[in-house]
Amino acid sequence: MRRDFLKWCACAGLGLAAPLRGREAARADEQELPPYDGPFYLVFNAAGGWDTTYLMDPKGVGGINRLYEEGDILTHGHHRFAPTAKHKDGGLSNEDFYSEFGDELLVLNGLDYSVNNHSPGARYMATGKLDSLAYPTFAALVAACQGPACPLSFLTFGNYSATGNLVAMSRVPYLPSLKRIANADSIEGNERSPYHDDFALARIEQALREQREDHSTQPLLPRKERAENMLYAAQVNSKALQRVTPHIPKDIPKQRLAQQAEIALASFKAGVCVSANLTIGQFDSHANNDRDQMKLIPELLEGIAYVLHRAEELQIREKLVVIAQSEMGRTPDYNKGDGKDHWSIGSIMFLGPGIKGNRVIGATDEKQFAVPFNPQTLASDTEHGIRIRPEHLHEALRQFAGIGEHSHSRSFPLGIKAEEQLQGLWG
Amino acid sequence: MIIPGRPNCRSLEIASRRYRDRGQWLPRPLSGLEQKSASMSMRGQLFNRLAFGVVTLMSLAVLFSSAELSVADDSPCPGTGCSAAVVSWFAGEVWPKVAALECVKCHKTGGDAEASRLVLQDLSRASETDRDKLLQQNRDAFVRLARLQSDKADGRPLLLIKVAGGLDHGGKQVLKPDSTGYRILAEFVRRVSEPQTVPSHQPIADPDEPPFFDGVVMLDDRRLLRRATLSLAGRLPTDAELAAVTRGGLPTVSEILDDVLTEEAFLDRLREGFNDIFLTLGIDGNADATVLSYEHFEKTRLWYQKYDLSHIADEKERRQAGYKLAREYREALLGEPLKLIEHIVRNDRPFTEIVTADYIMVSPYTARGYGIFDEVKDQFARSDDPFEYVPVRLKALKGRNSKEDQESATGFYPHAGLLSTFQYLSRYPTTETNRNRLRARMYYQHFLGVDVLELAARVSDAAAVTAKFKIPTMQASECVVCHRTLDPVAGLFQDYFRFDTNFAIYGRRKDGWFTDMFNAGFEGEDLPAEERWRALQWLGERTTKDPRFAATMVGHAYYLLTGRRPLLPPKDLDDPLFAAKHRAYQEQQRQIQAIASHFAETGFNFKTAIKDWVLSDFYRADGLATVASTPERRAELDDIGIVRLLSPEQLERKVAAVFEQRWGRLTEQTAMLYGGIDSKEVTERATDPSGAMGAIQRTLANDVACRNVALDFSRPPERRILFPAIEPDVLPGASPESDARIRQTIVRLHERVLGRHDDVQSPEVNRTFELFAGVVADAQARGRFEQQEIWSCRQGLEAPVSDPHYTVRAWRAVLTYLLRQHEFLYE
Repeated sequence: MRRDFLKWCACAGLGLAAPLRGREAARADEQELPPYDGPFYLVFNAAGGWDTTYLMDPKGVGGINRLYEEGDILTHGHHRFAPTAKHKDGGLSNEDFYSEFGDELLVLNGLDYSVNNHSPGARYMATGKLDSLAYPTFAALVAACQGPACPLSFLTFGNYSATGNLVAMSRVPYLPSLKRIANADSIEGNERSPYHDDFALARIEQALREQREDHSTQPLLPRKERAENMLYAAQVNSKALQRVTPHIPKDIPKQRLAQQAEIALASFKAGVCVSANLTIGQFDSHANNDRDQMKLIPELLEGIAYVLHRAEELQIREKLVVIAQSEMGRTPDYNKGDGKDHWSIGSIMFLGPGIKGNRVIGATDEKQFAVPFNPQTLASDTEHGIRIRPEHLHEALRQFAGIGEHSHSRSFPLGIKAEEQLQGLWG
Repeated sequence: MIIPGRPNCRSLEIASRRYRDRGQWLPRPLSGLEQKSASMSMRGQLFNRLAFGVVTLMSLAVLFSSAELSVADDSPCPGTGCSAAVVSWFAGEVWPKVAALECVKCHKTGGDAEASRLVLQDLSRASETDRDKLLQQNRDAFVRLARLQSDKADGRPLLLIKVAGGLDHGGKQVLKPDSTGYRILAEFVRRVSEPQTVPSHQPIADPDEPPFFDGVVMLDDRRLLRRATLSLAGRLPTDAELAAVTRGGLPTVSEILDDVLTEEAFLDRLREGFNDIFLTLGIDGNADATVLSYEHFEKTRLWYQKYDLSHIADEKERRQAGYKLAREYREALLGEPLKLIEHIVRNDRPFTEIVTADYIMVSPYTARGYGIFDEVKDQFARSDDPFEYVPVRLKALKGRNSKEDQESATGFYPHAGLLSTFQYLSRYPTTETNRNRLRARMYYQHFLGVDVLELAARVSDAAAVTAKFKIPTMQASECVVCHRTLDPVAGLFQDYFRFDTNFAIYGRRKDGWFTDMFNAGFEGEDLPAEERWRALQWLGERTTKDPRFAATMVGHAYYLLTGRRPLLPPKDLDDPLFAAKHRAYQEQQRQIQAIASHFAETGFNFKTAIKDWVLSDFYRADGLATVASTPERRAELDDIGIVRLLSPEQLERKVAAVFEQRWGRLTEQTAMLYGGIDSKEVTERATDPSGAMGAIQRTLANDVACRNVALDFSRPPERRILFPAIEPDVLPGASPESDARIRQTIVRLHERVLGRHDDVQSPEVNRTFELFAGVVADAQARGRFEQQEIWSCRQGLEAPVSDPHYTVRAWRAVLTYLLRQHEFLYE
């Protein structure tokens, strides 16, 4: 019954934030929802604005890069990337990253962020909508569409994380926190020491369920209706958190991205989470660009590699979709402080099941301006092509995730004309 | 003269304010002429400049004399004349959907298009009393422009050409010709120029439109009082207060609030709430270093390291005392800005002091850090209390080198409320490239309610603009639209231009302030050179005169009470629910303006803003008499009702208020997990419960019930909080009397825990009774069970409590059930 109820929620596109009428809300019994089985979505955010010319869109001309020349640019399959092995300060070099993952990697260059500021840029990249604070991030949207009943459906560790009121945002900042909340009905989380005898707990749940049923038939303010539904769902679904504990590693990794990743991966593996925002900051290299980017880009790549390796160990690698992005790029020239300022052209990377790798779509010219391309052929077309902006990518992402026609997606339209939709982006 | 059968001007004004598009007269598709106009505008560059000068006075004269357009002698468009259809269309469509969202950004005094022929009044800066008059002026300006045609563009309407980017429009293309906004303007032009084509029977407003709060059920006065005392003072109302409200109604609530707003707990809540807004507790590093800089407080900021603790003999104790000293000193430093707010409110000082106060708050510990302890120590009642604060004026800063001395005409530091505190400046630091723009942005957000990055303008090719102009922020219209406002305020912070706050916060740029930025100033007024040393005071003085300041502070009061910010105006004109959302926004704005007016009238006493909100329909709204049946009505009511998930701090206070002891576990990591903030990385509180939070709620309910039920039974009845009139030997079903006592106890628990006032036979009481009776029956049916509570739930009892009938545990189940409910976990 409960399974039916939750399925009904998801199919109806209502999630648990939507109003529930009649007896649907109360039909949930104590039968646990089956674990969400993927696909899982991980969005890596290089917060502050990455220098794409030191990663997937190398230049080496016109004074754009001081650490290498055009002739030093390396390749792997169709990928061209900047050499960083000799310059990096910790982390993973581009050479090693492309060597291991290049065949799976899809890169899009020449993305037009349209703005030069962190806050709107982050919002735009996260949601595909520049001029609204109401739109959900892709991670929240896909969580609301595909796993609204998961207790940690949408995890976030920072960056822009609006949910559009579709799904609750979960912040689990520390790995040990997961253990603490896993067995809420037991004293100190010890399953052998329940607070209540089983019959008493069953009575409590029954009373709450009946109350929910009663309330759902009464006229309520929309806010209250939404809140009561979310509260009920949060408490009922929280029981599934018990499944997480077996997947929490004994040793907590030191790297900041790896710490976030472990929480997300344990939640994925337990089937309690659909998507997660992972973030590392300080990319805003207005001073000493090369020093900062050579520390942070390798750290980001190391984090991605860590996730993929751990996902392999947890046997969820084939269900894991990885997106790596930033809210802006860096200027083609250096300022007086050896830094680079904000630039509205950049790149994005994708990797995962259903994404054909070893491909680079789009381009920038020698001055790091975006080259328009044909959305149907994905080939550069300076005369008739279009500028690819975040809404184009988000439309494609929605289609990729199979949620393009979901009512939640329709509630937050991106307004991409049919002729501008990217065809065959995923290969 | 009023023409019979047609609405008079005043009624038009009122009606136009209430106008709502019901969808029955959406703008028609573009006419051939308009489409041509739009298409031509794409090629506007070909006609630019030439077209600007070709609108003749002749055409103006002809149009202005158009007899058909005059409605009455007291025309709402004096000198231009306009019809009811024009008035209503402008008020209901053009202004809110196009002009207020787009045009006024540049077309205003001080804006990038202030020299154009369309100069509008920014209604967001207008007082409530001036608003209608200024709206009318704006309408007149639009009417005049709508009548202009371009000879060089085949006589097409200038307004439509310009807005689509033609004729060298400085703001480039603002509306696409196929957009709803463009169609709204086209319809406006048609109504102005072809009034005979506008059907006279078109409705200008729905006269039968019900009041906004129609059908919304308000909290009764007793529950309102409970909501307010819990929210503001973290306590339940006293029996005397409840009795007084029962007798005196809403006016008595108001009187009680006067006292509540003087309680220490309210002032704690005030500081907590304002930190959510200003986030000054989120300063990086140790406050003794990042608030008090090496440059100006080198010799005093680390006073605690040399503080004599030799009277503590034990070395370990002495070390611990040193740690405590440092910790409390840093905490006291971080708390200063919030203590300033507290001081203003506690003493009923004008809240404008938040940006004008010529003092800061210091404690005995922080005074030592500033090096002024000896000067001010007599002002403290307890000179060893790290958290007793007094107002103090600092002297102008002295650097290690005289070049770093602060310029001051008075010899004092030019305090400007929060703006000039080292905490605010450290929390929002500058960089070489940022040039104080972050501070300017936060200033606008915090004190004038404007988020300049909220709706950043899309630039067709931002990279190209950056490359094309030498100084894009002063030359590219796409950039100028924000930077003309932002950069002057950034310039007012110019004397605080150091990048390592540990080393220095105050310090001028060596080469003078940037010349590739707009001059320092505020909203079109340049900072006089002689005011530079006190630039932030100059800014503060202007801030308090800006009507947006009062409205923003009222918005902060709303945030304090509801946990959410005032609504933003809807932007998507094609949203079928636009009209409903716009009405919700307008209604809330009207309330904000009304409270802001009262706030200003009372000398900016912040308590009046809090009180006015509490007594408003927005705070009292609690339910619906009937289901909101249409999507439009649901959209209108979408944000109505407090319905606020309690923060970890609020939830702890509520537990303490109900049970007279805190739970104590919603701290640190668990608080973060429960949606709390750290004021640094996590700055927005969770508004909806995740599964993780649901788990914490279960734990809280289990644990708080565990700690309190047996404990309460262990006390003598007269000292009990939960069960003063019942004992564990009262069994359900034993007799009518015992059932009645159980029900009365449930009623009491509902009232204390949930704030409900239920009848003993109500469905809610029935359900709780069934739970209690069911648990007891199940236990009896099981046959064997322990004769006492489980070990964890019988700790700290005042006397042993046996549980031979399982009723103590059944009451614990009842309490667990109540603590998991919306009415306990939400406000």
